[in-house]
Amino acid sequence: MKKIVPALVLLALTGCAGVQPWERDVLARPEMSLDTAPLDAAIDEHIYFSKEASSGGRGFGGGGCGCN
Amino acid sequence: MKKDENFSAALAAATCALLGSAVATPVRAQEETGKWSFDSTLLYYGESDDRVRDISGAVSAQRDFGDDRKLSATLTADTLTGASASGAIALGRPQTFTSPSGRAVYTTNPGDVPLDDTFLDTRFALNASWTQPLARLYTFSAGVGFSTEYDYTHLGANLSLARDFNKRNTTLSAGLAWSQDDIDPVGGLPLPLSQMRDVGDGSSKRDGSESKDVLDLLLGFTQVLNRTTVLRVNFSYSDSSGYLNDPYKILSVVDPLTGDTLIRTPLGQGPNGVYVFESRPDSRTKQSLYAEVKHAFGKPVMHFAYRFMTDDWGIDSHTGEVRLRWPLGADSYIEPQLRYYTQSAADFYRASLVSGAALPRYASADFRLGDFDATTVGIKYGHSTVSGNEWSIRAEYYQQNGSVPREQIIGNQANREQYPDLSAVIVQFGYRFSL
Repeated sequence: MKKIVPALVLLALTGCAGVQPWERDVLARPEMSLDTAPLDAAIDEHIYFSKEASSGGRGFGGGGCGCN
Repeated sequence: MKKDENFSAALAAATCALLGSAVATPVRAQEETGKWSFDSTLLYYGESDDRVRDISGAVSAQRDFGDDRKLSATLTADTLTGASASGAIALGRPQTFTSPSGRAVYTTNPGDVPLDDTFLDTRFALNASWTQPLARLYTFSAGVGFSTEYDYTHLGANLSLARDFNKRNTTLSAGLAWSQDDIDPVGGLPLPLSQMRDVGDGSSKRDGSESKDVLDLLLGFTQVLNRTTVLRVNFSYSDSSGYLNDPYKILSVVDPLTGDTLIRTPLGQGPNGVYVFESRPDSRTKQSLYAEVKHAFGKPVMHFAYRFMTDDWGIDSHTGEVRLRWPLGADSYIEPQLRYYTQSAADFYRASLVSGAALPRYASADFRLGDFDATTVGIKYGHSTVSGNEWSIRAEYYQQNGSVPREQIIGNQANREQYPDLSAVIVQFGYRFSL
C-alpha cells in the first residue's frame, strides 16, 4: 500500500490534465461548483450528525452539539 | 483516439477515482470583489409522534477582498423542543422515570417506546474562516468555530492547505481540525451503569462537567475529469477522546425469562422499574472515504456522492446521495434529492441488560448506535431574481428503520415495538443576496 499510493498520485498528476483553461465554460457555471449550497450542506450535516452514528467525510467531522 | 491513449485516459480516470479534496476546488463560483454577499436560511425540522422539533435560522456572510482573499462567517441559532427516545424498552405496563434534572418524574403509557419529553434547548453557533493564496498554486485556509447551548459548549479550530496541479485541473489538500467540547448535564453527570434513583436522591450522579477532544485529519483530492465532470475524493480520520457518553440515555434491566423490566418500588416519587445509565468507551477512532462526482448533461447537473465510514466501536456505515438539478427556463431550477444511509450496530449496543448476568463494561441502548437504515427523499426549487439574488425552498422527508438483533430479544419483548423508528419532515427556505 505504501508504494501504491505515491505511484497513483504520480499517475494522477501526469494523467488527468485534459481540460484547458479556455475549455472551462461548463465547469465555471456556479451549479458545477462542489460547494454549491454550503448552508444546505451544513444543515444536512447537523441533522444527520444528531440522528446517525456517522459524520464528516465531505469536510471536517461536524459535531459541536450535545444533540439528543 | 488510439487504443493506448484510450487506455491511459481510462487508467488516469481510474487513478483519480482512487485518490483523495477538502478545501479549494478547481472550479468555483465567482464572487464579486469588494462586496458582501449573504446566504440565509430558515429551517423547520419536525419528527413524528411529538418528538424532536427544531426551528433554526442561519446567516452566512462572505466578502472577497480581492486576490482570492476571502472571509466567511456564519451565525446559526437553533431552538429545540420535544421528546427523545431514552433507551428504555417498551412494556405492557406504564413506566415512570425520574427526569434528568432529578426533580420530577415522567410516565410512559403501556406499549409505547419511552421518550424523555423534558428536552428543551437553544443553541447558538458562530463559525468564521479566512482563505487566501499562499504562493502561486497554493491556497491556505483557517477557521474557528464556537457553539453554546444550555449543557454544552464547543470550541474548534481548523487549518487547511491546498495545492493545484495540471493547469488547476487537480487539487491536493490536507487539513487538520481540533475541537474541545464541554458537557455539563442537567442534574449532574450520571455514573456509568449506576441505577436511576428517586427524585431528590443524587447518589448515582456527581457534580461538575466533563469534556471531549476531537482531532480530525482530512486528505483531499479534486480532479477535473473532462469539460463536464469533476470528481472529489476525501479520506478522513477522526479521533475522539474523553467523555463520549450521552448523559441522558438509559438501559432497562430485564428479567432473563420474561424480558420485562424488573419492578422497583420507589420510596417517594421515582422510577417504577430498574434502569441504569449508559456507559461508552472514552475513545473512538473513525475513518471515512468520501467520493463525489458532478456531471453536466447539457444544462442539467447531476451530483452523486458516496461515503464509507468505519470506526473502532464496530460501526460501519454506507451513505449514498443523488441530486439532479434540472433548469426550468432561464431563472429557475428544480432539484430532486435522494439519500440512503445504512449502519451496523456498535459492539456494545444492547436493547436491554439481563438481570443476574455479568454487567458488561460498556453498554448503550441509544438507537443511534443500533442497526438501522435511513432514507431521505426531497425536492428543492430555486429561482433567481432580476437583481441576481436567489431564493429557494427545499422539502425533505426522512425515515429511519431499525432493528434489534434477534439474539437480544428476550421473552415478551418479541411482541412489542423495540426500536423507535423515526420519521421527520424538513422544510427549508433560503435566500441569497449581495450588498
